[in-house]
This record gives sequence, C-alpha cells and structure tokens, in this order.
Amino acid sequence: MISAKGRLAVWLLALFLPGVLVSPFPARAEALAEIRTGGRILWGGDQEGGGPYVFPSDKNPALLTGFEVDLAKRIGTYLTVRPEFTQGPWEKMPDMLRTGKIHMILNGYELTPERAEVMNATIPYYVYALQLMARKDDARVHSWADLRAARTPKAKVGVLTGSAAETYTRKFCGDLCDVVAYDGNTDTMREVETGKLDATVEDTPIASFYATRFPSLRPIEEPVQRGYYVIYVKKGETALLEALNEAIVLMVRNGDLEAIYRKYGIWDAQQAELADIAARGRFYGYSKAVTAKIEKNQMPIEEAVKADTRKRGWQVVKEYSGILLESAGMTVVLSFLSFPLAIALGLLIAIGRLYGRPWLKLPLSVYVEFLRGTPLMLQLYFTFSFLPEVGVRIPAFWTAILGLAINYSAYESEIYRAGLQAIPKGQMEAALSLGMSRALALRRIVVPQAMRIVIPPVVNDFIALFKDTSVCSVVTIVELTKRFSVLSMSTQATVELMGMTAILYLMMSYPMSLIAQRVETRLGLQQQV
Amino acid sequence: MIAITGLVKRYGQSEILKGISFEVQKGEVHAVIGPSGGGKSTFLRCVNGLEPFQSGEVRIGSNVLTPSTNGRSDARLLEAVRRQVGFVFQQFNLFPHLTVLENLIEAPVQVLKLKRSEAVERATTLLARVGLAQKHDAYPRDLSGGQQQRVAIARALVMEPAAILFDEPTSALDPVMAGEVLSLMEDLARDGQTMIVVTHSMSFARNVAGQVHVFADGHDVENGPPSKLFEDPQHPTTRSFLSQSAKEGGPPPVPAPAPAPAK
Repeated sequence: MISAKGRLAVWLLALFLPGVLVSPFPARAEALAEIRTGGRILWGGDQEGGGPYVFPSDKNPALLTGFEVDLAKRIGTYLTVRPEFTQGPWEKMPDMLRTGKIHMILNGYELTPERAEVMNATIPYYVYALQLMARKDDARVHSWADLRAARTPKAKVGVLTGSAAETYTRKFCGDLCDVVAYDGNTDTMREVETGKLDATVEDTPIASFYATRFPSLRPIEEPVQRGYYVIYVKKGETALLEALNEAIVLMVRNGDLEAIYRKYGIWDAQQAELADIAARGRFYGYSKAVTAKIEKNQMPIEEAVKADTRKRGWQVVKEYSGILLESAGMTVVLSFLSFPLAIALGLLIAIGRLYGRPWLKLPLSVYVEFLRGTPLMLQLYFTFSFLPEVGVRIPAFWTAILGLAINYSAYESEIYRAGLQAIPKGQMEAALSLGMSRALALRRIVVPQAMRIVIPPVVNDFIALFKDTSVCSVVTIVELTKRFSVLSMSTQATVELMGMTAILYLMMSYPMSLIAQRVETRLGLQQQV
Repeated sequence: MIAITGLVKRYGQSEILKGISFEVQKGEVHAVIGPSGGGKSTFLRCVNGLEPFQSGEVRIGSNVLTPSTNGRSDARLLEAVRRQVGFVFQQFNLFPHLTVLENLIEAPVQVLKLKRSEAVERATTLLARVGLAQKHDAYPRDLSGGQQQRVAIARALVMEPAAILFDEPTSALDPVMAGEVLSLMEDLARDGQTMIVVTHSMSFARNVAGQVHVFADGHDVENGPPSKLFEDPQHPTTRSFLSQSAKEGGPPPVPAPAPAPAK
C-alpha cells in the first residue's frame, strides 16, 4: 500500500522535473476552425490594466467594459461567434496564446518587431502615441527637455512596465532622469499627483480617458512616438489573421471604430491613419485588399463612458463590497479544495519517507526540497504553461488547485514527519505484536495519534495557504486579491478597497483559527499527558 | 510449541545473544531471570519477530523465523507468529487515543475480523477477569500503572494467543501495583496459559514458573525447575546473581546457598 502511494508521489515529481526537455507541439493553423466549431472566440486581456481598455464597469463592477470589450463584441458579430474574455496577467499574454488558452490578444499590445517575431499581428485597430504628463502646479516641467534638465535629485518619470512608453522614455532619459516602472496604468498618474513622481509617460488613450480622474495633471507638449495597437494571434494562424483583418477594415470603413472610440473619449486626429491603412490595404505584412461590403454605422448610439470623479469612502464600500465578497468565495473554494489534497499527499509522502522502502526515500526528499525551495508562483506558472505543451489540457482552475496542493504537500509532509516521529516506538511495536500489519498499525494507531499533535501547525499552514491563493492570479484565476488590484486600478479607491479586502480575509481566517482551537481542545482531552 | 535453537543476535560488533536454545511446551511457564544487560529482553523480542537475528531459528508451531526473515517480504509470516504469541511490554504501550475497551477490541476487529459485538463480548469478559470491569470507557491516562498493565495483559489475552511473552511487566510499577499484576499472571499460569516471563520478581520465578532460566552475557547459563535452581544453583553467575537479588529484594526466600566446591 505504501509503495503504491509512494509511486504516485514519484510520478508527481517526475511531472515537474523533465519539463525543459519536452519540445512544444508544432503550431497548427486551426484556430479559426476551432473558433467556428466552438462558437466562441477567447480573447485575452488583463482587467488590472484599467481604463479605457478592459476594466470593471463603474456602475456594476461585476461587468467588464472598455473599448476593447466593445471591439471584441463587434469582432464576434462579424465572425458570428461569441467573444469570451479570458483574464490573465498582461505580460503573460503571449504564453497564454502559445499554449492555446486564448485565440487572440486584444489588450493594448503595441506592434513591436520582437512580438511580431513570435506572434502574428493584425493591422492596427488604434493609433496611439505617448503623452507626457506632469502636475499643473509643477513649474519645473514644461517640456520633454525639462526632464533632462540638471537638477538634484534627478527628475523621476513613471511608466508602465514592459510598455513602449518604458522603452522610449528610458532611451530619452539616458542618465539624466530616472525611469520608474510600475505594474498598473494609473499607478503612475497617482504617484505624480501625490508628488512621488515628477512626470509620467502614458499611452494617449489612458491620458485622455483619465484626464477627469486626475484633474491636477496636465499634458505636456504634443504626443510623441506614434505606435499601433494590434491584435496578436498565434504564429501561423493565417486564416484567423485574415478574418480579423477583414473585421477591422470593415469597422474602420463603416464607422464602428469611430463610434466606439468616441464613446470612450479617445477618438483623435491620429486615427485617420486607420482609414488610410484600410483604404490602401497595405500595412507591413498585411497586403490583401479587403472588399467587404460597407455597412454604415452598425453601432447603436451608446452613452459615452467616462471616468467619473474618484469615488470615496462609504460609496466605495457600498458599490464594491458585493463583488469583493464574490471573489472571496473563489478564495474559499480554492483553499478548501486544495488543502485536503495537500494534507493527503503530504501524509503519504511523510509515511513514505519514514516507513517506505529505501529506494523511495531519496526521490521523496528531492520532491520536498524542490517544492519548498522554489517559489509557489513559479510552480503554478510552470504547471500552467507546461501541461498544455505535453498535451494535458486542464482548466486554469484545476491547475491552481493542483499547484497549491502539490506545493503545500511538501510543507504538510514535513509537519507529519515530525508528528509521526513524536509517537513513541512502543506504539508501533504494540500494534505489530497484536498481529497488525505495518500499514494497519500506521492507519489505526500511529497516524491518528500523530494527527492530534500536528493540528496546530496544520491549521497554521491552512491559513497561510488561504492567503497564498492570491498567487493564483498568475494562472488567470481572479480571487480576492486580484479583484482588489483590478478594482483599485480602475477606481483609484485603494485605501477603502484595501481595508475591505483585509477585513474579508480576516473574517474568513479568524473563524478557522477558532474552529481549530476547539478541535484541538476536544482532541487534546484524549491525549496522554 | 515454541522451540528456539542457537539464537545469535548482534548489534554491530557487540554480541547480545550468543547461541540461545530454548524449548517451551504447551501450558508451561518459563521465567527468565538474570543481571541487566544479559540479553533477556532482546531474546523475548526475537521470539515474536520484533528484532531480527543473525543466526539460529525460532519455531512457533509450524512457523519458522530465521535470520533471513524480512520485515517487509515476510510480513504475513510475522503477523501469523504474532497472532499466536502475545506480548506484554514493560511500559504497557496502551494506545492513548483509544478507551480501555477500544484498546482491547482493536486487534480482534481489525486483525481477526471478529464482529464488533463479538469482540466487545470477549473484551468485557476479560476486563472482568483482570478486575477492571468498571473501566471500559476510561482512557489509559486515567488509570494507575498497575491498572494499565492489567489492561495490556487483557489486550494480549483477547487475541487468544497460544503463548504470551512478558517483558519485565512489573519493573515500571511500585510494589503494590506489581503485586496486582503478578497475582493476575499467577492466575493465568494456573489456568494453563503458556508464558515466557522475563522478570526481576524472584518470588514469581520461584513460585509460579515451572522452568527458570538464568541469562547472563548472552548465554542461558543455567536452567531448571525453580526448586533445583534456587536450592542448588550450579553456575557461579547464578549464585552471585541470586545472592545479589536476595540482598536487594527484601527477605530472601531461602538462605543463600553455600558456595559450591570447585569442580
């Protein structure tokens, strides 16, 4: 029995080690067929990026809004499929595309040679530029050149990590000003507002959309460094690429794009280039003229979406507690599904290491050391992107459960090992002397006693796991912490949301401590002093 | 029914048992006495397979343990041996997470696959016999040492073993509690229970055992019926051990024998 279960552990270990050796499947051009048969197109984006791209609606935070949400809807209409949003970390979108979790990236991804190398890009759906912004009352910054002016300390400019703005600004600054990279689009604007940064460089849609939210900021000079937002598809998916290009051309010609962009207040003169590209049918790799029939103004006239003035205090609590509570549900589900697995696995590993056959001990200690010695996030992400490569397709949700369970099994096994070792040898001997097999003696005599000893550290770990579920956002799960970041990024009501999130975590973990204490007291009564 | 021949047990370099041969017939009570470190407990643990040994064999009915007997691959053999030979420990080793009754019925239900009701019936009878009928639902920690050891004996008996091995069952007890346990063991002996008892109680060895063995330095230096062994010890080790324990252990049962003339 022991060895059979031990074998499972070895198998799980084997799952992690040889990952680097397996080559990815060759890309097959089948996305469009898959989309058409499935009746849905999965598009990837990160709602944490905030407005005006993809963000929780101000009116109902459970709904997504943004110009890219509207674009996806239109594309769905033209492809006669249902668009389905897939949440993921922005910088991980190419991985998600490669591993087939999404069909396209539609999330403010700029056209860059590096990206075009590994993915296929459509013609642009938006022409952006970089807007420098500073405080209205800051007399030192009136131009780009002012950033490089000699001063101590050097001027600090905030940008979005990995964006074209970062590349451009770093090159512009050189040694003369400091570039600070942030993970959220509006983080930098807030930091400029509070004076921590001197300026920020934003893509024009963000600067326009959030102008009302940050009234103390002003644009400096005209936007610079024009660039293109494009949709990326997996390399080689030419059929899908052409279908998307046709949809974009159609939307340019029939005025859909203009209607959408006006709705979010991001239509500007630069977008004329879109019509130009569509008319000439030529844009970098794309050269097929589209003869789609022009339908005028397909878009219904919609209410303009604008960033409201910032919500504060009780209004935030009232409007967002519902959705935070809902996300807390995901946190609970993740913990309650993964922890029992971790406990079971950990127990088997501990038993295998203590009582198993000699050949089992080395692989099991390697398993434990490997999982304890590497970050959970890395393991989760590895599982997430590695499993599809070897043809195992499990939903992100189960990837998260599995990842958490495997990681925590290493910690649980160490706790159990200590607990099992604390049981006097005489207990096993007494059980064996009664004719029990070792397995039976473990199951009936040794393990139940060890269980009682390990309750406090195990509960401790459960609470830790409970909070570690936040790492699952790397595998596209939106739980409490992720929801907090998303909302905080789109509303800037960080302090209120933070408080609510903390209270929710506490409300969930504290009862668990209480229950654990009660169980401990009850079982403690039966323990020999 | 138990036959041990040429048993040798080594821990690394040191030899604990240096060729012990030993035979027990049904209904016999054998006491093993001797100075500490003489290998008495180790011997007993070899008999029910808790300790592997390096040479010789242990035959229990039709089952034979040999130096090549392996805890894993021969698990079935060991379990069969242990079902026939009960073991009572110096430290009782009751299961602290189970009540007295649960301690008793655990093995009958799990190992012998008795019905629970049947096991409870057996256990209840035995608890009455060891004088602890009232302690069904007590946990081991609520019992005195003597009571715990009586439960432990009942736990061995409930399996209805052919023989029971006692490993210094009264050493961890004060004299009063030791008395309770010894009189219970005397009872069992009278009822014809086959036993091997490693003990420091000279009175038990003298009055209850049919055969007494003196173990010293890994050898069974002298054995025989208590009358002969206590009245007329032959081996110098026996003599010095008996006079030693007479000094320590209250009034000597017999006057210390005069040193035998050198042969």
